[in-house]
Amino acid sequence: MSTQDRTGTNLINHWQRGVPAYSAPLITPTFLALAALTAVGFALAGVRLFSPLGRFAGMNDEYAWGIWKTFNVMTLTALGSGPLALGIAAWVFNRQKLHVVMRTALVSGFLFYATGLMALGFDVGRPWNFWNAALPWRWNAESAMLEIGICMPLYVAIFLSFEILPIFLERFYYTSGERTRAVLRRVAPLLRRIYPFMLIGAYLLPLMHQSSLGGLLLLAGDKIHPLWQTPFLPLLYLLAAGLCGIGFVIFLLLLACLRYSRPLDLGILDELGRLLCAACFLFLAVRAIDLIWRGQLHAAFAFDRMSIIFLVETALITIPAFALLFNAVRQTPRSLLKVATLACLGGMYYRFVPTTVAFHPERQRGYFPTLPELLMAGAYISLAFLCFGLAVKFFAVLPGDTHGWKNKFRVIRLPQWPWTRHHDIRSESRPNTNPEGEPA
Amino acid sequence: MSGGITRRQALLGMFGAGTTIAATIIRPASAAEEHPAHPVAPLDAVAMLYDSTICTGCKACMVACSEANGLPPDTSLSNGLWQMPSQLNSKTKNIIELYKEPDGPEFAYVKRQCMHCLDPACVTGCPFGALKKNEWGAVTWESSLCIGCRYCEVACPFDVPKFEWDKWNPKIVKCEFCFDQRLLENREPACTAVCPTGSVIFGKRVDLLAKAKERIAGSPNKYFEDRVYGEHEAGGTQVLYLSSVSFEKIGLPKLSSTSLGHYGTKVTSVIYKWFSGPIVLAGILGAVIRRNWKRHETERPEREKRTGFPDQL
Repeated sequence: MSTQDRTGTNLINHWQRGVPAYSAPLITPTFLALAALTAVGFALAGVRLFSPLGRFAGMNDEYAWGIWKTFNVMTLTALGSGPLALGIAAWVFNRQKLHVVMRTALVSGFLFYATGLMALGFDVGRPWNFWNAALPWRWNAESAMLEIGICMPLYVAIFLSFEILPIFLERFYYTSGERTRAVLRRVAPLLRRIYPFMLIGAYLLPLMHQSSLGGLLLLAGDKIHPLWQTPFLPLLYLLAAGLCGIGFVIFLLLLACLRYSRPLDLGILDELGRLLCAACFLFLAVRAIDLIWRGQLHAAFAFDRMSIIFLVETALITIPAFALLFNAVRQTPRSLLKVATLACLGGMYYRFVPTTVAFHPERQRGYFPTLPELLMAGAYISLAFLCFGLAVKFFAVLPGDTHGWKNKFRVIRLPQWPWTRHHDIRSESRPNTNPEGEPA
Repeated sequence: MSGGITRRQALLGMFGAGTTIAATIIRPASAAEEHPAHPVAPLDAVAMLYDSTICTGCKACMVACSEANGLPPDTSLSNGLWQMPSQLNSKTKNIIELYKEPDGPEFAYVKRQCMHCLDPACVTGCPFGALKKNEWGAVTWESSLCIGCRYCEVACPFDVPKFEWDKWNPKIVKCEFCFDQRLLENREPACTAVCPTGSVIFGKRVDLLAKAKERIAGSPNKYFEDRVYGEHEAGGTQVLYLSSVSFEKIGLPKLSSTSLGHYGTKVTSVIYKWFSGPIVLAGILGAVIRRNWKRHETERPEREKRTGFPDQL
């Protein structure tokens, strides 16, 4: 299949559907390094279960939120907003081309959200009281924290999980026997019937909680520097989530395709580049309007410490915004990777600064995360990347050529214990014989 | 669709149920009334008036506070010898601090404790209402509702709520106006009861505000800016201050007269009123997604024939 670009050159559409990286080696040095960091994090998490927060982390009464909240939740769920941004582009604004990269967005989004929630679970001081969430009459409906506390787990547990369900069912279908396949064939139409309804929640909920993350900071009032403290915080946090979400999917696609020697689809990358460009400009426009409206432009160009922090942030988003206007940038994978990385960093920077660098309580004791705190934060991230690597290898996540692929999935080899030696563990994949009524 | 219900009807039904739930169970976020920019104190609101020019720094109030609230002494600065907190912390709900001019004679004592704001940011932010504006305006904390998220610490403009960082089952520690300990028994808070000089006194907010203004009028140029701190700060507080030294110097932050609850909820209270914003948005999303989904499904056989593979979601 091929399409023509503006100059009339034939572009090959290499990304036709999700294809597993079934021949890539499973145990690599990167895999082992990530697994090691994750293991350290799990061990520390075990210690945290029995340790008071103060002995474990560098947080104090002035900086009551450490990096688990400000980075793992506030910043990384923005990177995990790909399912929101691209889903809305694909299903609401009908950008058909993007359907093929949705699985990459969904899996990465699910992993960043899930690890963010883990971080939150180990951060709160009295998690056992969270059962109050089940009693709606105890909700303080005007609290942004409540909105996030209810909405985010609900989104991950129901909507994101539902959206990634087809990825599991597909593998299950091709690796199981005829009887299971018959059941799955009956399930598939049901799934498709519910799917559009689930999409509504899958976009509504993150629109709510991603803006509420910004809404949280409104109550901090004057503690946050006036360059960041604005009634526009919820909107800006949402726009930054969209920006980071699109940018991170580009980043992941390019890196993963490089790693697993996949050909790139420049047509789809170009589309993603255009979206990222628009997201950057939208963010910058709202930011500029806000600063002018509040009369804070002078603070932005005062060239003191906070002004420079602001200018770096703006540069990190302005450079990709303008660079992405050029066809040459969008259609050269190397430069696209660079600008997407810049945009992601800019968006993350914006989401991180108001809770940390620009957060000035009356008495500043200062805060720097302790080593266990940093290791646990790193472990959540490495867990996400570890799982992403496994997902790409075992499931049809990463987009690729269908050429030569016969719905073959990597076999999960269970260890052969002596007592199972005579059993035949059959998870051998079979070629697809009946394309009708496939699960998803 | 089976059962004679169209998707549209099902959708409308869902929204209908959602609205009913929002209307009956969830407290409606009608913040326009709940969070006025400049809240008016109810007539029965209690208050403390602290006059820094009278205080001798004897710290009797600190001992009385610890005793009334059953707090352990903070002895970290005195090698375990006597109570000597450096600032409000998880063992100290009330403290007398000394401000001293670096190169000059000017000095002043200041008593720090919860300000019991008329519209407290901590109460607005607290997810399950563990912090609540109780009877007579005392801001109290309920342990069974607190998840330890520490949003109150981030939100409080006076940095009052403190977290027990060294406990496995941490509490939020803050002055609660001796609500359970004394107010409910019709007794005034321990600190005002014990104060030997009358520098901190207890009463109804209206009365104390009038008294403070009387003192200002009685001795012109004695008090800083001839005003009462707490009359308007952060929308008004139930602890009022008089001082001859600048309020900022003695550690009382310069704050706007708009309540943080108003600032924090003025936009969201409109969007989330009766949950209408999300419901309308869900309706729009639903309509557009349905259209695009149908188109996607119609084109599916053709797509599958072209690629030779079943469609992926």
